[in-house]
Amino acid sequence: MTTCGEFIVRLLESYGVDTIFGIPGVHTVELYRGLADSPIRHVTPRHEQGAGFMADGYARVTGKPGACFIITGPGMTNILTAMGQAYADSIPMLVISSVNQTDQLAMGDGRLHELPSQRNMTAGVAAFSHTVLTPAQLPQVMARAFAVFNSARPRPVHIEIPIDVISMPIDAALSAKAWPLPSRPAPAAVAIKQAADWLAAAKSPAIVLGGGAVEGAAEALALAEHLDAPVVHTVNAKGILPPGHKLRAGENMALPPIRKLLESADVVLAVGTEFGETEMYPDARPLQLQGKLIRIDLDPEQLMRGLPADCPITADAKLALSDLNRQLASHKHTDRNGAARAAETFKAAATHWWPAVGVHQRIADVILKTLPDVIMVGDSTEPVYALNQSYQAPTPRAYFNSSTGYGTLGYGLPAGIGAKLAAPKRPVVVLAGDGGLQFTIGELAAAVEAEVPVIVFLWNNHGYGEIKTYMQNRQIKPIGVDIFTPDFQVIAKGFGCAAVHVENLDQLPQQLTEATKRKVPTIIEMRPQA
Amino acid sequence: MGANQIGGHAAISILETYGVDTVFGIPGVHTLDLYRGIADRKMRHIGVRHEQGAGFMADGYARASGKPGVCCLITGPGLLNAATPIGQAYSDSVPVLVLCSVNASKDLGKGRGRLHEISDQRAAIAPMTAFARTIYEAGELPQAVADAYKVFETGRPRPVVLEMPLDMLSAPADLGRPQRLKAEAPKAKPEDLAAAAKLIDAARTPLVIAGGGTVDCAPALRAFVEKSGALCVTTTAGKGVFPDSHPASLGASLSLPATQDYLAKADLVIAIGTEMSETDSWNDFVTFNGKLIRIDLDAYTLTRDYEPTVGLLAEAGATLQALMPMIAAKAPVDLDKAAAIRTRNRSGLTPLQQKHAKVLDAIRAAVPADGVISTDMTQIAYTANTYFTCEEPRTWLHPVGFGTLGYAMPAAIGAKIACPDRDVVAIAGDAGFLFTVQDLGTAVEQNLALPIIVWNNDLLAQIQMDMVRLDIGEIGVRPRNPNYLALAEAFGCRAVRPDSLSGLTQVIKEAFRADGPTLIEVHENAAYLA
Repeated sequence: MTTCGEFIVRLLESYGVDTIFGIPGVHTVELYRGLADSPIRHVTPRHEQGAGFMADGYARVTGKPGACFIITGPGMTNILTAMGQAYADSIPMLVISSVNQTDQLAMGDGRLHELPSQRNMTAGVAAFSHTVLTPAQLPQVMARAFAVFNSARPRPVHIEIPIDVISMPIDAALSAKAWPLPSRPAPAAVAIKQAADWLAAAKSPAIVLGGGAVEGAAEALALAEHLDAPVVHTVNAKGILPPGHKLRAGENMALPPIRKLLESADVVLAVGTEFGETEMYPDARPLQLQGKLIRIDLDPEQLMRGLPADCPITADAKLALSDLNRQLASHKHTDRNGAARAAETFKAAATHWWPAVGVHQRIADVILKTLPDVIMVGDSTEPVYALNQSYQAPTPRAYFNSSTGYGTLGYGLPAGIGAKLAAPKRPVVVLAGDGGLQFTIGELAAAVEAEVPVIVFLWNNHGYGEIKTYMQNRQIKPIGVDIFTPDFQVIAKGFGCAAVHVENLDQLPQQLTEATKRKVPTIIEMRPQA
Repeated sequence: MGANQIGGHAAISILETYGVDTVFGIPGVHTLDLYRGIADRKMRHIGVRHEQGAGFMADGYARASGKPGVCCLITGPGLLNAATPIGQAYSDSVPVLVLCSVNASKDLGKGRGRLHEISDQRAAIAPMTAFARTIYEAGELPQAVADAYKVFETGRPRPVVLEMPLDMLSAPADLGRPQRLKAEAPKAKPEDLAAAAKLIDAARTPLVIAGGGTVDCAPALRAFVEKSGALCVTTTAGKGVFPDSHPASLGASLSLPATQDYLAKADLVIAIGTEMSETDSWNDFVTFNGKLIRIDLDAYTLTRDYEPTVGLLAEAGATLQALMPMIAAKAPVDLDKAAAIRTRNRSGLTPLQQKHAKVLDAIRAAVPADGVISTDMTQIAYTANTYFTCEEPRTWLHPVGFGTLGYAMPAAIGAKIACPDRDVVAIAGDAGFLFTVQDLGTAVEQNLALPIIVWNNDLLAQIQMDMVRLDIGEIGVRPRNPNYLALAEAFGCRAVRPDSLSGLTQVIKEAFRADGPTLIEVHENAAYLA
């Protein structure tokens, strides 16, 4: 006899899930029945928030959904913040949880782990949330979840299963095979024609690439080169243009030279971006575009948010960019000075970077030189705010952090663990501050246990430095920001990790190299005055 | 109040009107103007290391003192990080007031990718609150806070969330001198009281079940039990409200067979302020064959699962006092049985529970009667819920209904801050402790004389037992643990591993007099427990 719980594990295998993050509990033991004998790897975080962030990091590196098994109630409330971050950044995440048994749902009897409605709570941070009331629903519900991840704007999906249903027998006729998934939407020919005509006629076009363009990276690069158009990356698009590419115009749309480039362009093509506030620090005023705006997005609603487009195209970025390349193949552009405009914009923009970019870019240069294929995973912390402006990632999916969108603390370490599990051969460096690292410090134990050698670059400024500066700038007496900071060296060693201080950048390459040889995480701590 | 006052000031000054003197939180970009109010009004601020800590501290503060605990949280991740403590306070009826920011009024519901945004923050948190409200103008604050205090003081206390848009927090606001609005708790109807008194007088073996709703009326409860000739059992939430040393006490043993047998035979059960839920009895339902009087502030609970012969929708203390002159004095008939049940309940422990009992005896010997013991979801606490003796209410804190990990230490911090003159001790398991380990930093920073006992079995022991019992392959339950002593020392915290039971008692006593927290590790395999 196969139980519903065992069947779920087999379904996940069919959809290619190879890793599950979770902490087993009384309510989820039946989900674990099938797992011990499955090829799926189980990783145990020390808090469900860690499970969610690990799944997020795993998903950003692979493009595949990160999967979690979560207990009813506190397990689900613990993972909410991680779902919020994934929701805001359009990351595929599958959260499978237990819930109280069917005849007790919403009764409010004060049952263990009970909530009035788990689904109401998760609805705000999920594409959908479904309660499985009979095992026979499972194949369809799982297919819907993977349709969201594969074919729509990816976001977290929550599937909850009452504890009586988890242990029910499965009808032997029910198949655990993956359903064929729907194709992503192709663009309408008429819209592509319109966009291509405008781009062909443009004299000073510019391109904004967002996180939604990552899977069409090659097509985006080809189009930019063909059009000779300067490119602005959002944080989640970094790496689409290789480092040092002549068309790279910069990263932060709020910097006056980049704002000017876009506002004065006669056609702007924006692919897979919200034009979100967190891409436009510190000046989130909407762009005042003079020319035409073409937007490509998988989510038609998103096309109606932010800047209104003259040509809104609902489509997969890769398909739409391929079509544009095809449509424009015969087009020969007159010299648009793309490289010169990009270089001029980039140079001018760099003069607007805040001073902290200098030191952090020097650190990043050392990291990149020592570990050329590094994946940098960041928390909300000064080095990340700085590198968001200046860093050039070696590939797509190799630079991401939680300062975009939802903007949570505590993301770096667990997301880095997820990233390293997803790409065990690539070095993963976590950029963390002392405040954020404390949020999820317990996950060092999970990394030691799972032998995940992430490298944590800890920028220790002894407090919530960003917020302190904000308070001072706004004449608020600093309160709650000069916090007691523990000794991270001792903490790391207590968890069985390696830990070192570096006094200057010359010491960094050797420490990085040694860290890559370990089986456990290494914390490399550096202080601002160093 | 005066010139240059803004919404952030108004929110804090209205709290002052209600006697709030301490708030828990972490400042962020979105709450700067709320913190302007905190700084200018000189409100005490306890800075935490993760908002989950803020929520549990507010819970512990409230459970130990009876005063609502207050948190100040940022939009999005700040609020959702506290979702688990809010869920715990919801399920255990604890008054917690959460003030948080939310995106500006003009941005609400737009999905523009604003910092910290989710689709609908209020809707996400509402299922775990008495109510959650958006405050669009400071002028709405007096009524909103009055409504919250109505819930806390005259209704079933549960969390209240007030979210304030950024523009509201920064807009000019002058509330003048806000007045405190008062409400009264519901009182029982005279004819219902008379019916109840008649049942009590007619009963030969009445049994009182005292739940969390009785913790503020211990003297009235004791007088009532003694006059009516009843025996008294408490729930875990009611632990200590009736002294365990009293001859009519059955302790907090609702989950034990001897008590349940007695309950089944009692000719009248008087259930006061209790859900009689799964987590009180660890049975689906308890059986009783006698008549039932229920006293509860919550109309739904009054009739949920068990239809009362007489139901009194009223506050417990006033109702018991009103009944006193209406009932005849009677001698209890079953004091011998009570003594026998107490003996049976404390014997028949498994070998593991006997180990727990040794440790619990050593703790009891160190903690004075008014000392507060804050416990986590860990096997030693499960044993203690029935085994440990308490003489006073508000001394036993346990995350009963929602059943989350990570509660003990931050709740103990909140309790110690609320009651600096009382001794407070935390008991956590090795896994639960790691859930919120970062707030050791908060305990150090606040110089709290707090012993924190980590019961270490290097195992998610309850779940491992369940897996073995249900023939599920063991998975995810043997975590690789850190060195807890080194970890504590890194936080600047004393750390000891006593080598005898008397040593444990001694170390706890010393920790009560120390100038900071002390982590005390007790390993299940320690030689002195063999």
